[in-house]
Amino acid sequence: MRLLSTHRRALSVAAAYGALMLALAVAAPGFYAPANLRDVLVGAAPVLVAAVGMTAVILARQIDISIGSQFAICAVVAGMLARSGLAMPLAAAGAVATGGMLGALNGLLVAVFGLPAIVVTLATMVGLREALRWATEGVWVRDLPAGFQWMGLGQDAGRFAIPAVALAVWAAVAWGMRHLAAGRAVYATGSDAEVARLAGVRPRRVVFGVFVAMGALTGLAALLSAIQFIDVQTSSGVGFELRVIAAVVVGGTSIAGGRGTLVGSLLGVLLLATAGPALTFLGSQAYWDRALQGLIILAAVAADAVGAGKRRAA
Amino acid sequence: MTYERGLALCLLLEIALFSAIGWNFFTAGNAGEIVRASAEVGLLALALTPVIITGGIDLSVGSLLGLCAVVLGVTWREAGWPLPAAVAAAITAGIAGGGLNALLVARLGIPPLIVTLGTYSLFRGLAEGITAGVKNYSDFPASFLVLGQGAIGPVPSQLFVVGAGALGFWLLVHRMAAGRALRAIGFSPEGSRYAGLAVGRRLGAVYLLSGLCAAVASLLYVARLGQAKADAGTGFELMAVTAVVLGGTSIFGGRGSVGGTLLGLAALAVLQNGLRLADLPAELAGVATAALLLAALGANRVLEGRNRA
Repeated sequence: MRLLSTHRRALSVAAAYGALMLALAVAAPGFYAPANLRDVLVGAAPVLVAAVGMTAVILARQIDISIGSQFAICAVVAGMLARSGLAMPLAAAGAVATGGMLGALNGLLVAVFGLPAIVVTLATMVGLREALRWATEGVWVRDLPAGFQWMGLGQDAGRFAIPAVALAVWAAVAWGMRHLAAGRAVYATGSDAEVARLAGVRPRRVVFGVFVAMGALTGLAALLSAIQFIDVQTSSGVGFELRVIAAVVVGGTSIAGGRGTLVGSLLGVLLLATAGPALTFLGSQAYWDRALQGLIILAAVAADAVGAGKRRAA
Repeated sequence: MTYERGLALCLLLEIALFSAIGWNFFTAGNAGEIVRASAEVGLLALALTPVIITGGIDLSVGSLLGLCAVVLGVTWREAGWPLPAAVAAAITAGIAGGGLNALLVARLGIPPLIVTLGTYSLFRGLAEGITAGVKNYSDFPASFLVLGQGAIGPVPSQLFVVGAGALGFWLLVHRMAAGRALRAIGFSPEGSRYAGLAVGRRLGAVYLLSGLCAAVASLLYVARLGQAKADAGTGFELMAVTAVVLGGTSIFGGRGSVGGTLLGLAALAVLQNGLRLADLPAELAGVATAALLLAALGANRVLEGRNRA
């Protein structure tokens, strides 16, 4: 029963996902071509990595809408470091560290100065995006070394490695959130920061920590996305924050903090990433994609609210 | 010193600075330009003020503006409706969109951030779907364009619409019992319910009003640019939220004023316009906006602490 109640949303999202995959199997078996499935996974990998961090942020009762701008900056940093002749693993580490520092900026303003996260990250979202545009003047990072694309692994191995890295990060954090003290501290802080403090958790440190982790994971997401292409765009990641938040929310994490699982977030990412391509395979036009994404979000939360109302009445 | 006076001082400093360093900044023509450029975001910011005072948020207003613009374009250009009917259709779309938010927030009790994140995608997606993502409706008659491009003397026509909106929202928030109810709900929804306030109905009303304002803003937008496209109003929701928060309305609800929102809006609009006329990089406006927003938050906290002591 406990399993049922913690994973209620995950189960219904899994059911919706199963139904979608079944419909595709019947109506458009072409969707199951290995190349297509791989493309869906490669496309979803950066969103999954960021969704892992966003789940922790939202569990701690915070929000970060600046990750789209962080994403663009980290991608540009990765490209510039690689072009300056740095070895690719170091350039990758640079991107992740840059993300961590940008996350620390948010964490400082929220945890230390006590400003509301939504407004702080609204400010850093606008400020960072414009600062990047100012610094790069919109010029793409070109002439990257050959080792940049696919991290020098070649296209086939790269397309395998990208989802593999994303899944590994997801699995490690999912385990840690359940079994490590730090993971439980995130849940405790999000459920009730004052009670968590009395129980010996330091809520401010936890909040600072989740923002840093969010930034670092955004850096990794940006890297996993940037290495799929031959140049680095300077305007990438617009709207990325909303896609990530949507996936986490569809996955059942409560915006009021303290409730949610990474299993749910994984399913949310998969459902939203599959919906778009599925639409094309089922014969509809791709430009309805965004409306469908919106419908999925609303259906998921509305079904939950109606269900909660019924349970309360019973 | 109150927060609003500080903000007004900031605005005066901005104006003095740009008058000194910018060309043609301190002219009636440029004042009109500033009003024109900020009218649509202004309407959205006015509508968001009561929403945020109740502790809510509406991220869907920019997308709804786009959807209403497309509805106007489709019904007039493609379905061949007379223009007044097309305008009525756009307004209806706005009310329906606001109504959907109202239903989900007030009836089902889903957090507004989540609801309007969903409708943010839904409304923009519908606009993209209807236009196949590419169609652009133009050639609106001059009698309609006057709403966005006309002027009475030196006063651009938008000012009358925004002025009426500002007056309406000022009456609602500061002079009506309903406005007090909104504050009470912002401080404590549960307490307000026990005090006998119709919390659901009040909440529903502010989201409906927000939808209506998005529709009116879409008319101003289409009339100003002379075209209706699915990407109309992209990012407007964030600019509107920025203006409201800069105006001193608490994102947690309970506190806020329409006058503050207008000051916040003016501070942002003057900043953008002034930097452009002073030949400074446009990106500086975004960076300065972010700094201003954080400074405003800090100032608000300091003042709050002093009032409590």
